[in-house]
Amino acid sequence: MKNITYVQAINEALAEELERDEKVFIIGESIQQGAFGVTAGLVKRFGTDRIMDTPISETAIAGAAVGSAMTGYRPVADFMFADFMYIAFDEILSKAAKWRFMHEGTQSIPAVFMAAMGGYLGLGAEHSQAPVSYYMHTPGIKIAIPSTPYDAKGLMKTAIRDNNAVVFLYHKALLGLAGQIPEEEYLVPLGKADIKRQGDDVTLVATGIQVHYALTVADQLKDKINIEVIDPRSLEPLDIDTIIKSVEKTGRAIVVDEDISRCGVACEIAMQIVERAFDFLDAPVQRIAAKNYPIPPGAMERFVLPQVDQIAAAVKAVMG
Amino acid sequence: MKLEKEHLIKFYSLMVRSRKLDTLLIEALNSGRMAGFYHAGQGEEGVGVGACTFNMRDDDYLYPHHRGHAISFNLARGISPKGWVCRHFDKNPGEVEGPRPEERGIFGISGTIGGGFVLSLGWGLTAKKNKKGQVTLSFFGDGASGRGTLHEAMNLASVWKLPIVWVCENNQFGQFVPIKDAFAREDIADLAAGYNMPSAVVDGQDVIAVHEAIEAAVQRARSGDGPSLIECKTCRMRAHAEGVPDVNHTQMRSEEDKAPWRKRDPIILLKEKLLAQGIVKEEELTRIEQEAEKEVADLDQFQAQCPVMLPKDASILDDFLYAK
Repeated sequence: MKNITYVQAINEALAEELERDEKVFIIGESIQQGAFGVTAGLVKRFGTDRIMDTPISETAIAGAAVGSAMTGYRPVADFMFADFMYIAFDEILSKAAKWRFMHEGTQSIPAVFMAAMGGYLGLGAEHSQAPVSYYMHTPGIKIAIPSTPYDAKGLMKTAIRDNNAVVFLYHKALLGLAGQIPEEEYLVPLGKADIKRQGDDVTLVATGIQVHYALTVADQLKDKINIEVIDPRSLEPLDIDTIIKSVEKTGRAIVVDEDISRCGVACEIAMQIVERAFDFLDAPVQRIAAKNYPIPPGAMERFVLPQVDQIAAAVKAVMG
Repeated sequence: MKLEKEHLIKFYSLMVRSRKLDTLLIEALNSGRMAGFYHAGQGEEGVGVGACTFNMRDDDYLYPHHRGHAISFNLARGISPKGWVCRHFDKNPGEVEGPRPEERGIFGISGTIGGGFVLSLGWGLTAKKNKKGQVTLSFFGDGASGRGTLHEAMNLASVWKLPIVWVCENNQFGQFVPIKDAFAREDIADLAAGYNMPSAVVDGQDVIAVHEAIEAAVQRARSGDGPSLIECKTCRMRAHAEGVPDVNHTQMRSEEDKAPWRKRDPIILLKEKLLAQGIVKEEELTRIEQEAEKEVADLDQFQAQCPVMLPKDASILDDFLYAK
């Protein structure tokens, strides 16, 4: 095992896949230098033909990724901030997600759309979002959200090798998070949840930085309540079976999600729990998500983004 | 290349076949025996046929456009029209002989106008990375020139010297809006100067002129000198789509406006040239027309006896959704 940070883990995954498959390349604005460090140093090793700097042209970045993916390449398109992906939604949500379907499975789009997501850095409404529900809402595109260095590396490698479009959203407040990973190569599959902490009393479902907030709450309350924390790691495909199995054991479920509450990821997962495990529930399913506002700047963002004390309050509420 | 008699006859045949297939779908939609959309392309066949018949290799990439639902492009690339006809009638043709569209670099058409610019950019990037001298021909209408994707794609294609030929088929209307009220200059080709690439404006009614302009641009792209923009002036002869009014903003377009274009219809223009120069006898052209007529009637009969495109159950959608 070795110690590595979250950002280094993504960097390692990219480097290994670039090394392994000459069809892999990265394209995005200022990625040779990089805004968050995930592509740091890659241009020195792989050259400017494979680590391609672009102008500020999100639709061109996404469209070029889709076009080159359908003609034999495995592009990783970088959008810097996840918020900027909105500019390229026709390319991501309609072309990448639907092209194979529209052509009855005769083509495939092995492209990764990568960006830094999330808040807690006070960066305001257009640089702090966790725009996950749009992707989960759109059939035809997969979504990976790592919460640890181990998952970040393994999920990225899998995303690049997947023969379909995958959105890979890494949390920009986790970049410096350290963790252990194996020295040897490994993959983390899409569609396989990870139980980050075992417990019998309450099931907490969370992704990204929310996993760490859930673990914090689990630790705070450990003397009285045994909390099970499940990180789905990918939202499409979603490992609902692992979640249901946990809820059947605990009888209580809380879904934590950094995206906007209304029509969000938490709604979807909570509804699936209700549909499949209603008879096991001892309390209504709770959701903790961003409130239905744009994310305010600076200190005010705490009024909107999920907070540790809200998760703790929800746990106490379902325990009665 | 020097165009010989056989090439000119090929142009003629492809344009006539495109026209008759276009006419079939217009009739079928308007008589109610076909459902869905149809965006007729008649009068504009000179562009796709002139550009794509003799200038492309099998491994080149092609983004057509929605007018005529790309029939002239498919025929020019040697793709059987069987699948095209059956698809419109929601019929399953079974195995179709000949290359599939994607085997001739035609991967599909964006449902959003202007979506093709950035996909073509990706194919241009692939062509450059492959280093095999492939080119991408990317067609768009004057209407698509309003999209920002044009700027992003043309700019990057030029910065990266990608082997792309951008071809504007300017038929003067984007749905109900005339291009003169939607674009600030007379020629869309003028945009090329802003991207530091060469351009040309050609008569889109003249299939030979289109061929020659695209030939030069393709050679340039193939030899690594980067993209060009060719604008082909033509005219939309019917409504944007069958069943919608053929208006200029809100006023019906007049026959007077179309008459000069009708006189210079690309099929008539080539026919006159071939006859005037004594290259072919009229009987030869008549025979081509009769053969096309029969081909289309046979295709219509064929689709009528094909089963509806409806697999046994919905599980096939899972295969459409994700690759393994």
